[in-house]
Amino acid sequence: MNDRPILSVTGLGARVAEEDQDILKGVDLAIRPGQIHAIMGPNGSGKSTLAKVIAGHPGYEATAGSVFFQGEDLLEMEPDERAQAGVFMAFQYPVAIPGVSIANFLRTALQARLENGEELDLFDFQELLMERMELLRMDPSFAQRAVNDGFSGGEKKRNEILQMAVLKPALAVMDETDSGLDIDALKVVAHGVNTLKAENPGMSVLLITHYQRMLNYITPDVVHVMVNGRIAESGGPEVALGLEEQGYEKYRRAQVA
Amino acid sequence: MSRMAPPRERAVRALNRDAVLETGLADPAWLKARREEAWDVYMATPLPSTRSEEWRYTDVARLLPLDGLEPNLEGADRVPDPLLRTMARDQTSAGRVVDIDGTVVSAELDPALAAQGVVLCSLREAARSCEPVVEALLATRAVPPSDGKFPALNAALWTDGVFLRVPKGVRLQEPVRLSRWVSRPGTATLTRILIVAEELSQVSFVDEIMSPDFESATLVNTAVELFSQRGAQVQYVSLQRMGRGGFYLASQRTLAERDSTLDTLNVALGGSVGRVDLNARLLGPGANSDMLGLYFGDDDQHFDFNTSQDHVAPDARSDLLYKGALDGSARGVFRGIIRVHKGAQRTDAYQTNRNLILSDDAVATSLPNLEIGADDVRCSHGATVGQLDAEALFYLMSRGLDRAQAERLVVLGFLGEVLKRLPLGGVTEKVTKAIEAKLRHVRA
Repeated sequence: MNDRPILSVTGLGARVAEEDQDILKGVDLAIRPGQIHAIMGPNGSGKSTLAKVIAGHPGYEATAGSVFFQGEDLLEMEPDERAQAGVFMAFQYPVAIPGVSIANFLRTALQARLENGEELDLFDFQELLMERMELLRMDPSFAQRAVNDGFSGGEKKRNEILQMAVLKPALAVMDETDSGLDIDALKVVAHGVNTLKAENPGMSVLLITHYQRMLNYITPDVVHVMVNGRIAESGGPEVALGLEEQGYEKYRRAQVA
Repeated sequence: MSRMAPPRERAVRALNRDAVLETGLADPAWLKARREEAWDVYMATPLPSTRSEEWRYTDVARLLPLDGLEPNLEGADRVPDPLLRTMARDQTSAGRVVDIDGTVVSAELDPALAAQGVVLCSLREAARSCEPVVEALLATRAVPPSDGKFPALNAALWTDGVFLRVPKGVRLQEPVRLSRWVSRPGTATLTRILIVAEELSQVSFVDEIMSPDFESATLVNTAVELFSQRGAQVQYVSLQRMGRGGFYLASQRTLAERDSTLDTLNVALGGSVGRVDLNARLLGPGANSDMLGLYFGDDDQHFDFNTSQDHVAPDARSDLLYKGALDGSARGVFRGIIRVHKGAQRTDAYQTNRNLILSDDAVATSLPNLEIGADDVRCSHGATVGQLDAEALFYLMSRGLDRAQAERLVVLGFLGEVLKRLPLGGVTEKVTKAIEAKLRHVRA
């Protein structure tokens, strides 16, 4: 396995655009190809901000440090360029696009990757979509529904996983994908991630979660604890288990001290 | 055909009584009289002013030099290439009418339907062949001169149009298509459409108009009169795709009798100014009207829709949905009223207008209204004016779409809801293509 990180975050500071207060205060993180990293932390610790800065959300701005993805300076790239380069973020709150079917959306996304003048073969696309849905054990009619329009929480997350399966990213950032899910929906998401990971072992995953329970289904290589805009501890899966027992209190105390 | 007489001088140069006489020269006596009466109404009716509520946002006096317009009386015999191209994209049809510069140049109907008694012909021909229904319904119950300045002008000076009658129980599977073209700048083209669907019949009609860009304001005024008798089903679609300089003014009225369905879709994409006055009258229990509208304005285009839903009878339903996207410094105006007449109990009437603003200079004005004279009704109205949702654009871009592609999907999805409600062969594709072309123009 290649040992050079696919994602290198160095000294990253970030804030909500046009606000004074930094939410990220110097985050360092290196993910190697094929690794699964989990970032856990209490509400307001900045873990979701990290995901949004990596994906290029216009509502956030980096104030210090750097983010490199496969050697490219992500912070200099538009959100669509990041996606084209192989970054995918599964949203915590996926957005409804009324009147646009999932199939149409994904077709447009794949078409956008092609060179100017090249046309996506519709038959090939249909076949790919069906194959991906079968892999994730989804009903084909799902792709005909308008993107997230009137979807339940579980359906929205399923849709994120389907998009990930079709777009086949090199790095998947899961932004609290497990929040608000019942245990069955959680299993569907975990099954999706694990299936795609098994299919493409080189895919890296950055799993952002508030709860340890997600890690019962997706086994991370590295677990980071984020508190107050910094990574307070990194280690193996045992770190998450420690959190389960003791909570975030000791990290908070350590920072104050 | 050879003529002995030398070509007549083109003496008619303005909208005046001479033009009325000239236009009606070959008409039957009842129609000549009707034209002259209409002209009197026209002369006695002041030009709509922005002081009136209904015309507050469309300043006709400023936008249209009515006195300088020449009536478009000459017609033409050649179908121009752009119209041929758009006609070639149409799917199958039950009948086709081509109208160039206000004169019908061809009207074809599936012979099997003609054998069942369906009549599709130029309105002039219908008036002259003394169709009694034409005399009874032309500019009388639906769009009479008393409706206003432009309905009066049209009733006095209409040159041609379409007459379509579908006899009792005959159901047309494919739409009847009217393809119109206007070529002469600075003219007024005045035409009418009269559709009578008899009991339990079914018909859909697509009225498409195109033109080149004009240097000077060019008026097209269309009076649309739609009758659905008991249990009939009628769909009328207007595709307004004129060039810039076009001033499109439509007066439409639908009269839906017991258990009939009378749906309309107004698509406004072209022209510099588009004004549609649509009145739906629900005249019998069980009548139903879906009223759909879609507009996309850019540059300094100005679209003004003035709709009313008149629930005269109890137990009828009407559902209006108008959606528009506005870019550049375009202006959209929607004014709608639901009127539930006294005794129209158990009315279901809905009215929704939604606008998507794509630029800082575009403006949408939405004025929904209710007037309820019965106590057991279900009515609602709603209006929204919103901008492109930044979260939605980011969501799409995070999947690899660039900003223009993301905007295109959001806009098409937003407007597509309207087209989905009236899926007529070829219309959705054509409108979608036209919107995409506009989006490319705007975002280039």
